[in-house]
Amino acid sequence: MLEVKDLKASIGGTEILRGLSLRVDAGEVHAIMGPNGSGKSTLAQVIAGHSDYEVTDGTVAFRGKNLLELEPEERAREGIFLGFQYPVEIPGVNNAYLLKAAVNAKRKHQGLDEIDAFEFLKLAREKMALLDMDPKLLNRGVNEGFSGGEKKRNEILQMAMLEPSLAILDETDSGLDIDALRAVAEGVNALRAPNRAIVLVTHYQRLLDYIEPDHVHVLSEGRIARSGDKSLALELEEKGYDWVRKAANG
Amino acid sequence: MKSPTLSIDALNKVVAALPEDNLATSRRAALDQFRQDGMPGGREENWKYTDLSEAVAIANRWLEAGAEIPRAGVAAVDDIVRAIDADWIVIDNGQIDTQAVDGTAIAGVEIKHLSSSAEQLTPSGRLGDLNAALLRDGLRISIAASTELARPIGILIVDHADSAATVSQIRVDIDVAANSSAGFIEYHVSNGDAELYANSVVNVTLGDGSHADYVRIQDRDRAHEQTGYQSVTVGRDAELRHCAFDFGGRMVRNDLVIDLANPGGNAEFAGLYLIGDGQHIDNHTRTDHRTGPTESHQEYRGILTGKARGVWNGKAIVHKGADGTDAEQANHNLVLSRNAEIDAKPELEIYADDVKCSHGTTIGQLDETALFYLRTRGLSQHDAKQVLTRAFAQAIVGKAPISSLHDFLADRIAGRLDQLMQETDA
Repeated sequence: MLEVKDLKASIGGTEILRGLSLRVDAGEVHAIMGPNGSGKSTLAQVIAGHSDYEVTDGTVAFRGKNLLELEPEERAREGIFLGFQYPVEIPGVNNAYLLKAAVNAKRKHQGLDEIDAFEFLKLAREKMALLDMDPKLLNRGVNEGFSGGEKKRNEILQMAMLEPSLAILDETDSGLDIDALRAVAEGVNALRAPNRAIVLVTHYQRLLDYIEPDHVHVLSEGRIARSGDKSLALELEEKGYDWVRKAANG
Repeated sequence: MKSPTLSIDALNKVVAALPEDNLATSRRAALDQFRQDGMPGGREENWKYTDLSEAVAIANRWLEAGAEIPRAGVAAVDDIVRAIDADWIVIDNGQIDTQAVDGTAIAGVEIKHLSSSAEQLTPSGRLGDLNAALLRDGLRISIAASTELARPIGILIVDHADSAATVSQIRVDIDVAANSSAGFIEYHVSNGDAELYANSVVNVTLGDGSHADYVRIQDRDRAHEQTGYQSVTVGRDAELRHCAFDFGGRMVRNDLVIDLANPGGNAEFAGLYLIGDGQHIDNHTRTDHRTGPTESHQEYRGILTGKARGVWNGKAIVHKGADGTDAEQANHNLVLSRNAEIDAKPELEIYADDVKCSHGTTIGQLDETALFYLRTRGLSQHDAKQVLTRAFAQAIVGKAPISSLHDFLADRIAGRLDQLMQETDA
């Protein structure tokens, strides 16, 4: 589904990704771990199409299409979803409005009619219940005055409504208490499907207690230093990131 | 830059030819005063950014051609009257349809022609003098004490310039007596291909314990010019809720002057200017806190595209002894193009000790992070910009005190924004 090859990307002239390769297939859950500054978030932003990052080399293919040629909105409509580490507060833009606009943008791309208003509300309420979200948040400004946990739940709500083929969740666990973490993890697990891939970008192993990955990759200095199954995350938790760094350099 | 000069000879001739009605004395007094003071402008600080010379040139051409006044087109009127629920009175190139006035029978409301009223006009500055000197008719709206109006009163000002330069004078006096509550919509439109300059004066008096909701919408042709002066005198424990929207006009100067002379007086006012290429919109507000406790809170917002030019000047004066004053001013601007220009100036003059005053001004662009966020949700760059800009405007729409206008205003803003963004490809 996603094929990243020898990807090099920089921001403001500083190279962050230095030849990263990664293959994610449908039905899989991948965890990308690594210390601060290793390039985890950059990878997520580059896949989503953030214009601050310049791709200097390598390729990113999504279902055989060259992703790097597409605008961020085209990537979204093709089925890529980025869950933000810091969801943006947008006062004055109604949360329900954004959800609906997002769903309809994708439906239009697929040649479908706009979602029926009643259908939309029913669906949104259903997903919110699953995430243990206050239904009132639907009529507030997007993330406006939301708590940390509410913001992350809102990201998962968007994901659930959009049903992406590839979801990249950037530090979705950061700043969450245990209840919020559980709710978010349940939301993600509910979306696991044979036709969908999920990439979890995370600093800590904690999230992986709730969402079990098929593959774990450790990033170091803009490259994947090590890949393995879920036991790699546990090993990492025990030995620390220095262990990977040394192994990669040694 | 010199003050623009109006042709006094032509003005004298035109004023002399106006009928000997109840306004005649006021006209002559205003003409004398205007001959002494002339037009504002030139080096005056208060007029630093706004040039009236084009308006004066239009006035001179009109005066010299005999000061003809054409009738306005009715189409624009029907649309607005149908869309907004209010008791409407139409002022058509400064003329008032008597039937409409007589037909407006609302309990507790008296509407009179200024041309048949014995009262003299209130001096209202230099442009007010020009207005009074050339005035053929105006409205006096009086709300009786302890009246609560169910629907707002709509004053629809339609100006039309078809074949030659046209000038219109609009004048409305509003008196809300003690303990009454009333809503007003002042709506300016204009059409026609010829040059037009409209000069409007609205004086509002709010009695003790009264409450007024006031929304001014200016949506003139983008080639037309307007100056508008509005004063509001706020009584003891009286409340003013005011909101102004400027969409049209080539050169528009609005002066809002609020006088808080009585304890407990409270004024909340807001404004939005949404303007594009070739438009110059100047909003000057002045609030006098003459005693305490009194409160004023204002927030104006601007959205500028193309080569638009915006001016906001908010002045609050806390006079000696006006302890317990709370004055707050804010002006926020969203500049969507490289060529737009905004001059924003808050001014606080404080001569009392126990006061709470604040001001803040921002000039910025759309938040790139928010734009990216919306695009990752599938919204096109164009739609994402629209959504964020509308949200910026919505903060002012929400402050419009007549809530039945909210949807109408939101639609107008969306339509206008679409048009401006297409023009500039912003």
